[in-house]
This record gives sequence, C-alpha cells and structure tokens, in this order.
Amino acid sequence: MNIARTKIPRDLLILLGIYGGFAILPAFLSGNPAMMGILIMVMIWAVVAGHWDLIMGYAGVFTFGNVAIFVIGAYASGILTINYGISPWLGLLAGGVIAAGVGILISLPCLRLKGAYIALLTFALHMILEPFLKGGVGKAIGTGGALGLLNIPPLSIGGYTFSSLNLVPWFYVTLGISLASLFIIYKIIHSHWGLAFLAVRDSEPLAKSAGIDDYRYKVIVFGVTSFFTGLAGALYAHYIGVLSTRVLGLDLFLLLMVMQVVGGMGRFPGALLGAIIVTFADEGLRAAGVYRLVIFGAMVVAIVVLVPQGIMGAILREKGEGRGPRAPKLKLPPMVRSTRSGKKAGRRENRLEVTYEHS
Amino acid sequence: MNILEVKKVTQRFGELRAVDDLSFTVEKGEVFGIAGPNGAGKSTLFNMITGFYRYTGEIIFDNINITKLRPHQICHKGIARTFQIPQLFLTLPVSDNLRVGAHFGAQSGARTHDVAGEEENIKEVIDLLGLSGKEDVLTSHLCLYDKKLTMLAVALATKPKLLLVDEPIGGLSPTETKQFMGLIQKINKESGLTIIIIEHLMKALTALSKRMMIIENGKRIALDTPEKVCCDERVIETYLGRGKHA
Repeated sequence: MNIARTKIPRDLLILLGIYGGFAILPAFLSGNPAMMGILIMVMIWAVVAGHWDLIMGYAGVFTFGNVAIFVIGAYASGILTINYGISPWLGLLAGGVIAAGVGILISLPCLRLKGAYIALLTFALHMILEPFLKGGVGKAIGTGGALGLLNIPPLSIGGYTFSSLNLVPWFYVTLGISLASLFIIYKIIHSHWGLAFLAVRDSEPLAKSAGIDDYRYKVIVFGVTSFFTGLAGALYAHYIGVLSTRVLGLDLFLLLMVMQVVGGMGRFPGALLGAIIVTFADEGLRAAGVYRLVIFGAMVVAIVVLVPQGIMGAILREKGEGRGPRAPKLKLPPMVRSTRSGKKAGRRENRLEVTYEHS
Repeated sequence: MNILEVKKVTQRFGELRAVDDLSFTVEKGEVFGIAGPNGAGKSTLFNMITGFYRYTGEIIFDNINITKLRPHQICHKGIARTFQIPQLFLTLPVSDNLRVGAHFGAQSGARTHDVAGEEENIKEVIDLLGLSGKEDVLTSHLCLYDKKLTMLAVALATKPKLLLVDEPIGGLSPTETKQFMGLIQKINKESGLTIIIIEHLMKALTALSKRMMIIENGKRIALDTPEKVCCDERVIETYLGRGKHA
C-alpha cells in the first residue's frame, strides 16, 4: 500500500469500471424485470459482502454477525416507516444508524476476545435474533412476529413512488448507494485507518506497542461496517416490500461467505466480483434445487485449491501488487531433503535442514 | 537522572510469582542489560513495563506513572519495544511496517498529518539500520536477520526515549549477532537513546551494558557493572556456573 501514489490505482479502476459497466446495462435489460431484479440484488449483496470483507479480510475480526446486522437494519427501517410514518429515505439512514449502534455494542465484548471466540459471540447475535423478532418483545416493537413485516413502503421522490413495475429507478438508486458504500471501503483501506486495521490483523502485539489503540480501531470497524450493512438491509426491505426472519436462514449467510472467498478475502474489490458471480450463479442454478449448495461447495473448493487468494488475488498477483504473493518455489536437488523444524526455534517460517543421503 | 523507576512490582500467574517484588532504576542514556535463567521473568517484566500485563507495584517513566496505562499509551509516552519471537506486519512491505510506527507511535498529541515528516523519519530509520533497497519487500519474504531489523525499525520509528529489546539475537549467526549488537551500540551512542536489553549470551551483554541485572525466579539477585556482576558469587552459583566464566 502506497499512500502517496499518484496514478489511479488498479483496484479503484476495477471498481469504477464494474459500476460503470453496470450503469449502462438497463439500456439493454430494462424490459427484462427478472434480470433487473438480479442486478439490483448484486448491488445490495456487494455492499454486504464488501463490508463483511472489510471487517474480516482487512481488520481480521472474524465476525459472523453481519447477516444479523443486515436484518436489524432492514427491520429498523421497516418498523419506523410503517409504524411511525417516517420517510423511507430517513428510514435508510435510521436503519444504518441503528445497525451501527448494535454493531458497536457487540464490538465491546469482542475487544477482549480473539479469533474463533469472536465468531461464536457474533453468531450468537445471529442465533438470538430470530426468536427475538418472533417473540413477545419483538411483537411489542412492531416486528409482526412470525408473519414479519408486510407493506413496507417503497422509496419515493417528490410525487414519484418507486414501483416494482419499473425497476430502472430502483436499480440506479441501489447502484448509487452501493457504489458509495464500496468507495468508502476503498477510501478506508487506503487511509491510516486501513493501515491500522492491517497492522492489528497481522500482529496485535506489535501494533499495540507501536502506538495503535486496538480497541478504538475494532470499535470503528464494527461501527462503519455495521452502518453500511444496515443501510443495505434497509434498502433491501424497502425494495422487496415484505420482510420476515427467513432472511436469517443459512442460505444467505453461506452465499455471502462464498462471495468473499470467490472474490478474494482482503482483496478489494474482490467481494464485488464475488457478489456478481455468486448472485448470477445462484439464480442460474435455481433449477438444481438442493444441489445448488453442493455446486457452490465444489466452487469454493476449486477456488481455494486453484486461486487461494480468490479472483481478485489472482488479478493483483499477476500485476505484482498483491499483498501476499506466493513465495518462490524452492527447487531442491534430489539428494536434499527438507524437514520442518521451525517450531523448535520458535519461529514462523520453516527452516530447511539439509541432509545428504549419499556421501 | 533516572528515566525508569520500577518500584516493588509483582506479577502473579496463579500460584506462580513470575516477577516478585522487583525494584530497580534505569539511568538516562545507559544500556541496561537483563539476564537470567529461562523462566526467570525477564520477558514478563518487559510485558509489564509496556502495559501488556496488569500488576501490583508501580512503574514511573520520565516522571509519569505508567502503571495503569495501556500499551499504545505507553508507546505515546516514549517507550518502544521489540519481541523475542519476531512480530511483524507480514502482509505489508518494510516501508509500511515503519509507517505504522511513524504515524501511530508519535508521542501523544503530536500526531499530525505531517506526511513529509513521517516519510523523512521512515527514511532516516531505514538508512540507520541499513535496510535501504528493501523498502518495498514484503516482510514475510525477509530473512530472519532482516525481520529482526525491521521489528527494531518499527520500534525506532515511534521515536522512543526508551527502547526495550527482548533477546534480539536468538537464531542469528555469529556474524549477524555481532552486526546486530553493533547496531544497538551505535543507536545508543549516536542518539543517546536509553536501551534495556534482555540477552542470554553473557559475552554480548557484558560488552554492551553499562550496568546489568540478573534475575532468577522473579527476584533480583544482582545489579551492578558487568565486571562486578560476573564475579558475584550468587550469580556464578545460580546462573553462570563454575568454569570458564569464573
């Protein structure tokens, strides 16, 4: 990462190129509502997967709570617009803010936890959300219980109300919010915040002793990613118009994970590429029914084996800009055998111990 | 003048007293060596000074009580450290490793968006340690010696008043050891930086230190100039052993 870089960086070019390409698609597809629907969902999932990747791939915080945050943003905006009559636009903002609040709350116990324990804690949020939304407290705040929210008002500008009959306005609003959300990720990872995230991810002890307040940056990354994830959730709620706890099912959770792996974790804008590929593949494979997940499983295995850093990792590595290019392969003469003895010396890398079989 | 005062600090891990009622002071500008058997509490002591552990007792640095501060705050007060097991930002190039120290390590309140100043600081440290030409190399690709240099560079980029170096030469060749110790000496001489160094290799430590302390089971058994410490009966008994050292 070179902060003082002057030419347009490749990741920004790819980001703008993809959104630019998407922006002209309605010219050909506006008569195809199914296709337009998929494009809108690509834009929404790009935000969720992208921000999930920001917290997991860049900041190294293994959170599994992002779908829950998405649903919280969706419900918050839905409830506020239905029950309190606020404008859906304000609802989007409120969804983001409330989600960010929950995100920051959940980040506090995570400060003292590491790795898999953060995953467990945040997944607990995911698990308790469904009974909460369906239960008495949920009904009291207007979640509609098991039925969920019906008739969430769509967005409107002036006298024009967005409708499912014409998805083009929906598409452009979603594209705008999606682009803004991902551009923020770009700005963050090229700023000192991004440097702090990577530093804490790579070595928490050195980061702390070099002056980084790890708590502060963990709270920041939870807050920022939760805001945009919640915003995307709110947008989703207003676009679909109905909302139930079905979104919390494992399907979406897994798809979002697959998007990140396919695109490349910690390889911006890999999650966007992943969102495009996986959303289209998901629609294309509807006919396969339950075998869909098997195919996705195979896809993940293939990606992990062939391009471990994902598609974006492969692109960056070719251009010599990747964060973790593969180490050059050692060519050992036939008489030399390598043994691993790194642990003994307390080091990370494996030392080569040379032993000669013939002398 | 004392830059660091450690007053009756104790660190318990369950029943074990890793550091037991330990007191000592470090003078400004000196190289202060710490040695002792494995498990004596040397690294634990570093973790206490740099705020990684909570403990009883008090540590005063530069007339500020740093006992309750967290690691990044202690860094901002002017203490930097290295680790026994190399810690680096392995996915970042050497220059960005230093940038972390230069940007976030700046003393409290002084952190600005002075990019030029940061760059200058980074360049100075890279030149000082002889890392030039390797600025853009990912630290995961460096050899052990350069990894240790880079870790030291991150610490120096924070512009510390006190540097803690934890067993820097483990795994290095004799030539590299000499080089590394030469660098530590140079840093101390040229910038007057106070350095506390933990090391097992007595030869290296005695050559470098103005004063040294031997600890065992968390207790101090000797603190004096290297010549006197090496002749100390208790030190020979518990640490050095009879024979060629005596």
